Amino acid sequence: MFKKVLIANRGEIAVRIIKACQEMGIRTVAVYSEVDKHAPHVQIADESINLGDPTPSESYLNIAKIIENANKVHAEAIHPGYGFLAENPDFAKACLDSGITFIGPTPEVIRLMGDKIEAKKTIAHAHVPVIPGYNGIQQDLPTLIKEGKKIGFPLLVKATAGGGGKGMRIVHKESELEQSIESAKREAKSAFGNDSVFLEQYIDKPRHIEFQILADHHGTVIHLYERECSIQRRHQKIIEETPSPVMTPDLREKMGKAAIAAATAVGYTNAGTIEFMIDGNQKFYFMEMNTRLQVEHPITEATTGIDLVKWQLRIASGQELTLKQKDITQRGHALECRIYAEDPSNGFLPSIGTLEKVDLPNGPNIRNDTGVETNFHVSPYYDPMLAKLTVNAENREESINKMIWALSHYVVLGVTTNISFLKKVLDHPEFRKGNITTHFINDYFHDWLITKEGLPLDALIALAVYDSLHTQRQEIVRYKEADPHSPWQHVGRWRMGV
Amino acid sequence: MADGGLTVFINYEHNTHVYNITVERRDNQFFITYDNNEYTVVASELKPGHLSIQLGDRIIKSIITQGEEDKFVFIDGSIFKVKRIELTGRKKTEKREGDLHSPISGTVVSCKVKEGSLIKKDDVILIIEAMKMEYLIRAPYDGIVKKTYFKEKDQIEIGQLTAEIQKQEE
Repeated sequence: MFKKVLIANRGEIAVRIIKACQEMGIRTVAVYSEVDKHAPHVQIADESINLGDPTPSESYLNIAKIIENANKVHAEAIHPGYGFLAENPDFAKACLDSGITFIGPTPEVIRLMGDKIEAKKTIAHAHVPVIPGYNGIQQDLPTLIKEGKKIGFPLLVKATAGGGGKGMRIVHKESELEQSIESAKREAKSAFGNDSVFLEQYIDKPRHIEFQILADHHGTVIHLYERECSIQRRHQKIIEETPSPVMTPDLREKMGKAAIAAATAVGYTNAGTIEFMIDGNQKFYFMEMNTRLQVEHPITEATTGIDLVKWQLRIASGQELTLKQKDITQRGHALECRIYAEDPSNGFLPSIGTLEKVDLPNGPNIRNDTGVETNFHVSPYYDPMLAKLTVNAENREESINKMIWALSHYVVLGVTTNISFLKKVLDHPEFRKGNITTHFINDYFHDWLITKEGLPLDALIALAVYDSLHTQRQEIVRYKEADPHSPWQHVGRWRMGV
Repeated sequence: MADGGLTVFINYEHNTHVYNITVERRDNQFFITYDNNEYTVVASELKPGHLSIQLGDRIIKSIITQGEEDKFVFIDGSIFKVKRIELTGRKKTEKREGDLHSPISGTVVSCKVKEGSLIKKDDVILIIEAMKMEYLIRAPYDGIVKKTYFKEKDQIEIGQLTAEIQKQEE
């Protein structure tokens, strides 16, 4: 096993990985940019390295800087987390070239799966169903428009190098096609440095269901059941659960087999995820493979009792996967909510500011993964996800109720968050019934406003008490003079005793 | 008020609505007036920002923080963002017409219209990129572009006007 691991990431995932390493007796090295120097992942790590400029390309995305520092501190392995360099084959290759173990699959597999077109071709060869579409290398506008018309509408434009919904557009009618392709290409170019896109048939009533995979270097590949991630906004997941409410033993058997076949076909190693889309008739299609740890991995851990990060470390160090498929069992139901600094009543725009107070809910089967704390400044440089909240219980209904309770006790003050929104989604009758698709937010929460009802009386009373306690005498005079015609000046009992 | 009672007049703005409140404090007793109703409460701050307030036989628990501009109130599982404002000599917050103001700070990817050109409602005027996502400013109505304020690669700040559009008469 490694003696020292560098974690090339920040936020909650860096914290989560550092904790796993420390439990296993591995020394940890955090990296950080200038704005993160007091961040929890830096505080908790055994060592830390300042990467300087907060611009991602100068810090968390700077391959040369990270490798150089890893060598300097004699880290034997690098864990990339998710996002940033996690699915960058050049980074995996650079690690390899400098004798550092990259905790993930080989650069070749990352490159293959990162190219969504090649990935689909390869997976289709393994007899796993894929969605019809245009995957050609001809990327000129006339060709794409012609191919788009051939597929028909609605269709999806997706960045070849994409992920996380960036560079992705749904096109409902022909007249939107040109503008959508151009815009997707631009976004793809700026996010991934590659503007190539593909087109595919748009599935009606789609649900996003993915399978967790673990594969070692000795030929063992297992799956750890599904996660349903249909609740998405801006094509990014916000609520995930396992088991999926539509899963049947038969479908699970088929999809699990397909997931293993897909992973085997590409010679996959380490932890990975096969993402499928299923339609209203429970037909499933391979979408993509994520060659890394997923954000939503805690729900799998909660229901299988298996620590995925520890297995990533063991597999990367060459150990055999001692878990057998028949030993993997799932118990109860788990839900995860992603806590974002964003405003759901204003197009989910990111919210920036200082967290004046962070106070997290605690209780049986409540897990907090967080990379922030009180006084942390949420900067515009990075993804606005602050934390993850995971709960598990005996069944889905109890799990939902527990999550609503936990969210009701989740205190993050200083920026606008999606917490109230998450609660409303969980409590929606169709969500409770399990009738969800990836369009759920658009279908039911299109015009949702965070505070339709206005301020409740209790909040006004609390504010009045707070301000009364925190207002100085001279300020009061100022307020009084500020408005000499205020009716309050003439209310007997309230008049200042001057 | 010989005993040192403090009276404060406060206006809170929340979601473009303004609430006028008066509060008088005597030790841990607070006399609050809102909307012609009076509420007498006994309250204490247990630790910074954590309030326990007794109103009749009810206990209200709340956590309040003061940011640079806004206050955040956590109460009964909900969070509200509130601004304390002074109304004197100042108009109430103007309603912004349409949605021609930038909802976010970022970089302009492209300006899709030219001054003087005719546009239809929902036409894209400006594309702004922030945090690797694109945000579109669309025309709120049919009209003629009177002025555009940004071009490609410009930095744009939240709340800045992106363009002026002369509404087309029916």
